[in-house]
Amino acid sequence: MKLKTNTSLIIIIAAAVLLEIISAAQYYYTRSLLAEELEHRAESEMTTKAIIVKTSLNMSEASLNGHIRDIKRNLSRPDSVFRAVEWVLRTHPKVAGCGVAFVPNYYPEKGRLFEPYAYREGDEIKTMQAAGEHHDYTKSGFYKQSILLNAPVWTEPYIDDVFKISMVSYTVPIWNKDKETIAVFALDLPIYILGDTLNYRHIYPSSYDVLLTEEGELLAGPREDHVQRKDVEQVVSIINDSAIPKTLSKTGRSQIATFYSLDDHKKGYVFFADFKGQPKWKIAVVCYDDEVYDKLRAMRLNIGLLMLAGLVILSLMILRFARNDRRLQVANLAKERIDSELRIASDIQMQMLPRQSSQIKRDDIEICGSLVPARAVGGDLFDYFIRDEKLFFCIGDVSGKGVPSAMVMSVVHSLFRMACAHENNPARVMQTVNETSCEGNESNMFVTMFMGVLDLPTGRLRYCNAGHDKPVIVGAGALPAKANLPVGVIPDIVYEMQEMMLTDGMTLFLYTDGLTEAKNKQHAMFDIDRMMNVLSDSADLKPAQLLEKMNHAVHAFVEGAEQSDDLTMMAIRYTPKHYENTLMETLVLKNDVHEVTRFSNFIKSVTKKLTLEQSLARQLRLAVEEAVVNVIDYAYPPDTEGDITVHVMSDGSTLRIQIIDSGVQFDPTAKEKADTTLSAEDRQIGGLGILLVRELMDSINYERIDGQNVLTLIKNL
Amino acid sequence: MNTTIEEIDGKYIATLNGEMDTAAALEAEEVLKPLYQSNGKDVIIDCNGLEYIASSGLRILLSILKGARASGSKVVMRGVNDDIKNVFKLTGFITLFEFE
Repeated sequence: MKLKTNTSLIIIIAAAVLLEIISAAQYYYTRSLLAEELEHRAESEMTTKAIIVKTSLNMSEASLNGHIRDIKRNLSRPDSVFRAVEWVLRTHPKVAGCGVAFVPNYYPEKGRLFEPYAYREGDEIKTMQAAGEHHDYTKSGFYKQSILLNAPVWTEPYIDDVFKISMVSYTVPIWNKDKETIAVFALDLPIYILGDTLNYRHIYPSSYDVLLTEEGELLAGPREDHVQRKDVEQVVSIINDSAIPKTLSKTGRSQIATFYSLDDHKKGYVFFADFKGQPKWKIAVVCYDDEVYDKLRAMRLNIGLLMLAGLVILSLMILRFARNDRRLQVANLAKERIDSELRIASDIQMQMLPRQSSQIKRDDIEICGSLVPARAVGGDLFDYFIRDEKLFFCIGDVSGKGVPSAMVMSVVHSLFRMACAHENNPARVMQTVNETSCEGNESNMFVTMFMGVLDLPTGRLRYCNAGHDKPVIVGAGALPAKANLPVGVIPDIVYEMQEMMLTDGMTLFLYTDGLTEAKNKQHAMFDIDRMMNVLSDSADLKPAQLLEKMNHAVHAFVEGAEQSDDLTMMAIRYTPKHYENTLMETLVLKNDVHEVTRFSNFIKSVTKKLTLEQSLARQLRLAVEEAVVNVIDYAYPPDTEGDITVHVMSDGSTLRIQIIDSGVQFDPTAKEKADTTLSAEDRQIGGLGILLVRELMDSINYERIDGQNVLTLIKNL
Repeated sequence: MNTTIEEIDGKYIATLNGEMDTAAALEAEEVLKPLYQSNGKDVIIDCNGLEYIASSGLRILLSILKGARASGSKVVMRGVNDDIKNVFKLTGFITLFEFE
């Protein structure tokens, strides 16, 4: 049982481990897919955003380039340049300011520095001459860079003097006909515009994009209401810090760094890449681990819960199987135990029956019985034994089959044996068995039973039937037996005894309905006719042969159909002894104890005639004297005179003494045997006589014949 | 048969001679009856001359034994022949009496 529990536990644990391995493998596989997907998305985001930014820049570049001719056309009229720059703003709503910074002293009348500049103030566009004492553009980066490079260029971001916001400017040098730079045409783009363009949508809700210059300076990022400034600065410093390890993406187009945010230590990833072509800016995408992988984690949790649920179900199933298995094992064990107990019970039951090995070895009677139970144990019984030259026999069938019937059967069997010990009248035996069987018979089981007592010297058969099938005198038909009620039904019924004389060579056949009701596969019954048929020409068979013949007939009939009821048969064949007496001496006594002296003389003379040795002669004398005294004492009522006749007969090998009286019926063989093991104080005075008779003689027999008590003592010489 | 009782050295000695069949036992009992009350004296039953005994004789011996036991004395059987001893065996009396 313990082993089973352990096995179940091992299976469940193995299943759990397996599921966890699958789940983990799935998780890491999906995670790596997601990581790849993230790279892909980040890179495509960067590409897209770069295009958008560059488009935005290109539009600015294009608008400026488109106005160069306009500026050149107005070079002769310096004041009209104001309108030209104002026009740039009008056509490009994103442009914050636009100006033309002329090389010093280009218009002497305008002073050394001249910069017509247009800018927005609210919805209005205003113009002014931006150069002055406080604003020397020749010292400004955009001017110097433009003059130096002598080519269109985007400036590094800077804080605009006028608007006090971060700007980048696009500058284009304007040449005269001799390719000399005469002015720098500049367009100011507020960086927040780039930032807005950049961050108009995101791959994840809290991810954002950052634009950096070639030098790694923050150019544009998300608005501060979206991302805190310091977070953006952290990202910028990570990108710029060469000490922080970066990995190259699978495509090789971007680099990736992992970081933990300053405030909440959220894990994040920075993807960054250079712009292709001008300007040489960098673009970065920041996204956070939780947003990338949270769904995966949720999925893992869900799958985990599902697996757990599955595991619980699996466990329950396994436990149930195990329990069922255990139950089955227990049931099997129980069945095996019951089977073995049934086998033992069957053995015990069979041992209760008269054994073939201890067959009665006599020449005046032959008996054979057989019982084949339909199940391990059965409710049929038969029994026979000889006491005091009388054959006691019975056959019975307990209602039902199997164990309950078997138990009743063994009780009835014991009752039969006990009752027969001191009773020669089968009706009274039946009555005793019935009364005891009825006591506490709450299961209402009953027994049909036939019992008989055959006096072997005379062949007188006394019998009593209790609802059983009538036995058959082989070759002569059924025994006339009254039905009577079965045993165990009503306690106080009086059973009727019947009798008949058996003659030499008669065979009595007894059976249970298992024989007549034996069915073949077509459910036809063997029936009483078939049985009678078998018996009709079997009068000369010995009991064993008869039973064999009947068995053979039944088996041939049923053709292997399953036996449905216990099948019991018994055959009794009577072949009485005939004595050729070589000696016959008779003495008639009065019922007076003083007559014993005459008896003593008589018996001494007889034993002398028989030339018995002294010891045997004394034994014989004692036995017969005890029997005679018993009759003197009990046969006749007090003060009544009566005769007692003693015959001594011998055929040379068997000595028989018959003591005959005409007194009241008195059967000394029915007396209980005196207990010889008691102490002196407990010993009773009576009972010694009949005890000595039994001990000293080979057998005794009592019969009431024609109103006389006939007691026969037999001694084999 | 012939039955006598004598008292020697504070013991009763009953001598049984001949054959004690049922009829003889009636007479013998008349002689032996005093021994039913042995008053604490041991009883020796001399059977050297006893050839035969029936159950009525055994009953007398049992009665003597019961009386002796009750008064704390014993009954000793002396000179019992094999056939009679066999009768004692068959009846279980062999365990009740002492034999010499």
